[in-house]
Amino acid sequence: MFERAMTCREALNLLPLFFDGELDANQMRAVALHSTRCGGCEDELRRMERLQEAISAQVIGAVDEVDFAVLWRGIDERLGTSHVSWWTRARAWWSEGERGWVIKVPAFAAAAAVALLGFLLWTRTAPTTQPDASQVASVDNAASIESLDSDVDAVTVLNDAETRTTVIWVSDDTPAGGDAP
Amino acid sequence: MSGAALRAFVTVLGMQCVALAAEGAPEVTGIPAADAVEVRIGAVLASNSSQEFDARLASMHRQFNTLFPYTSYRLVKEEHQRVPWGGKVGFDIPGGRYVMVIPREFKNDRVYMKVMVIEGSRPIIDTSVSLRDHATFLVGGPRQHEGVLILSIGADTLH
Repeated sequence: MFERAMTCREALNLLPLFFDGELDANQMRAVALHSTRCGGCEDELRRMERLQEAISAQVIGAVDEVDFAVLWRGIDERLGTSHVSWWTRARAWWSEGERGWVIKVPAFAAAAAVALLGFLLWTRTAPTTQPDASQVASVDNAASIESLDSDVDAVTVLNDAETRTTVIWVSDDTPAGGDAP
Repeated sequence: MSGAALRAFVTVLGMQCVALAAEGAPEVTGIPAADAVEVRIGAVLASNSSQEFDARLASMHRQFNTLFPYTSYRLVKEEHQRVPWGGKVGFDIPGGRYVMVIPREFKNDRVYMKVMVIEGSRPIIDTSVSLRDHATFLVGGPRQHEGVLILSIGADTLH
């Protein structure tokens, strides 16, 4: 609900935040409304969009030119690390310690748990790798509503299971029985 | 804490982490991150003035006939606009409405976006929704002289 129209000065101050999506819902609405009616502010918004596109194109172009394989080799050479295989490290860790059972029992338990977990995940996910043809053919149009705000008298959200479709229905006059579908 | 006890603690902690990760793991979709998104808007005039069903709405025939009590459905406007994540797109809709969509992110095969439907000087809908890639949801009403305007709003990610 707007108490008064936003001025250009207020809108211009908020445009960068609006552009970044950092305003709250009320401010977002106010700036959007203002920019649809004010040519100057709409132009400013378009200018920001063009600027962002230009910057994005430059950054993406620069990143694409970096050869990360060469970069990492250079870093690796400067670090001068000695490579020890994970198997050697694991054996060293395993044979260390005064009380072997303190390490081995939990380690065996962990390995068993991982194996069991892997088996359970595999058995659970295996059927979904071959979905039913009807599932592929039909589109799930059900929307998840995170928030909903409106200035009209009545808004109804309908999630129809049969067609798997979400409808947001706006009624202004709310007659007996409403005009909702 | 001795070295052995520390290792045992780390091992048990690792087990718990594996269990927690399995329990709370997000849905693995195997879908690469989307670069941008194409927002679709359709404006459909529904009424009981005739039995006409616009052939261009064939893909939504079942939805309209199941969900709404009208006999005629006519597509009065259809528009697609490509937009980067976080950008905004605006659509002028017949009847003096304006729809603004801000796609926020693509996560778990769902498009998260903010949708505002503005009529005159008042926002009739201001919502944040998520829907599956390529899906469409509907915004209907309020009633107008000739019938009811139903907006279909959808999003298709672009890779």
